[in-house]
Amino acid sequence: MFKKIQEWFDERIGLTELINEFNGERIPARGGWAYTFGSLLAFLFIIQVVTGMFLLFYYVPYFPMARNSTYFLKHHVLMGNIVLGIHLWGAFTMIFILLVHMSRVYFSGSYKKPREMQWVAGMVLFSVVVILGLTGYMLVGNENSWWTINVLDNVASHVPLIGGFIRILVKGGTETSVLTMQHIFAIHVWLLPIVVIMFIPIHIFLVRKTGEQGMALEYKNSKLPDDDVNKWKHADATVPFFPDQLFKDMIVALGVFAVIYFLAVYYGAAIGPMYRPLALNFAPEADWYFLANEELLKYFPGHGLIIFSTFLVPSLGFAILFALPFIDRGHERSPFKRPAATVLGILFLLLLVYLTLIGGEPKAPATV
Amino acid sequence: MTKSSEDSPSRRTFMTVVIGLISAVIGVAVAIPILGEILSPLFKKRDIVWAELGKIDDLKKIEPLTPKFVPVYFRVKEGWTINTLPRQVVVVKDITGKLYFFSNQCTHLGCPLHWIAARQKFLCPCHGGMFNVLGKVVGGPPPRPLYQWVHKVNSGKVLIQNKFIDNPKDRGI
Repeated sequence: MFKKIQEWFDERIGLTELINEFNGERIPARGGWAYTFGSLLAFLFIIQVVTGMFLLFYYVPYFPMARNSTYFLKHHVLMGNIVLGIHLWGAFTMIFILLVHMSRVYFSGSYKKPREMQWVAGMVLFSVVVILGLTGYMLVGNENSWWTINVLDNVASHVPLIGGFIRILVKGGTETSVLTMQHIFAIHVWLLPIVVIMFIPIHIFLVRKTGEQGMALEYKNSKLPDDDVNKWKHADATVPFFPDQLFKDMIVALGVFAVIYFLAVYYGAAIGPMYRPLALNFAPEADWYFLANEELLKYFPGHGLIIFSTFLVPSLGFAILFALPFIDRGHERSPFKRPAATVLGILFLLLLVYLTLIGGEPKAPATV
Repeated sequence: MTKSSEDSPSRRTFMTVVIGLISAVIGVAVAIPILGEILSPLFKKRDIVWAELGKIDDLKKIEPLTPKFVPVYFRVKEGWTINTLPRQVVVVKDITGKLYFFSNQCTHLGCPLHWIAARQKFLCPCHGGMFNVLGKVVGGPPPRPLYQWVHKVNSGKVLIQNKFIDNPKDRGI
């Protein structure tokens, strides 16, 4: 019976061939678990799209109503709290796994020739996902959303020359208003997801185009020297994507999804009080992935230096990260054979963790 | 008989150019109105209004060097509706009796300030900016003293405009 159906489709659209083409990709064999993060991110993105779509059944992107519609979704819609919770914790997990995925690629030197463009495509995805996180946080319409919009608009206004224009364009006007929320809504649910949906296939296509590139341990048996490009073309052993790699991917996906589900059900998404521009005792707090940046803003006092914290340091750091494969052009892959890159990477991660931890401490007025 | 591009390289060039031109024309024709839509807020003038704060005689009775937070409600056109923008006006009287009308937003990046009476300072909960009661920066990253609202006294009443004195880039709100 199934054989017949398969044959019917094969005759018309070559289904079996298509499936084999997609699933037959050979993956280097030894680092299997380390290669699961990419698939995990694709999986998490699908979860975000699906939950996000159904949040729209109740959500209203209108500043005076947004927070209450989110509250209604959480407290008065059957299992709405779970959908909302999965969307929030899924987003947090996605950003965290993105950092893990990027670190894995960085330390194993996988961004090196011929995979430069793949790193660039990945960086586009990274930036878009972080902005998706920030805009999502603004859409809740609670106090944090209100002040985050204002603070980030003011940060943007420090971009040289066009800063003031950027702030007005993002706000959709001179005041934080209904149009601001409408703009952020359009960016969060349409514009940026479309960019992600376009760049994930590009990212995956480039993986396949460049072939079996893996971590240094995949090439132990190779007799070729490290600076020979041919060395990195054929791993010692490979396995087909389906089912060997996908099996590992799915186990990791299930594990991570179980954690997200647990967090969604037991902790859920905190909605917080309605925004009050008149608040006198409110201390806005950034999401955890923005705390390092937030902390950075404290270190450059005065009129002359403010541009360092709002524009120069973040954009320079971002530019270096973006152009990483063009800066680090050595052929060496193993983290142990390129100590400078490895040490710099570890120091950067430690700095990030340090800034995040002190950025997350209670703010002064609450403790005075 | 249509000539195939394979027969003549010049025909191939011609077709490539036409394909490129058509794409460019359609692209530009769609992009211009979209750009107009996005840039539209830049061509709107900011709606500047006056709102009543209170009687000048009442405000003059406040304790010197002790800020009083008075809410003010601006009714401004924004988008397709008239919106009420509630804002805090921090009224401070100095020892000579002069009144100041400060904004309660930090001049660093606009977070709401907390008045810490024990320290006689305004503290910013976001990045640790500190101001004294007369709005001078005494610590942290703020690049300039507190913003002051544009104000006037009209038949005994203080009127506040939704605009800061000496703030050419309209930062802060």
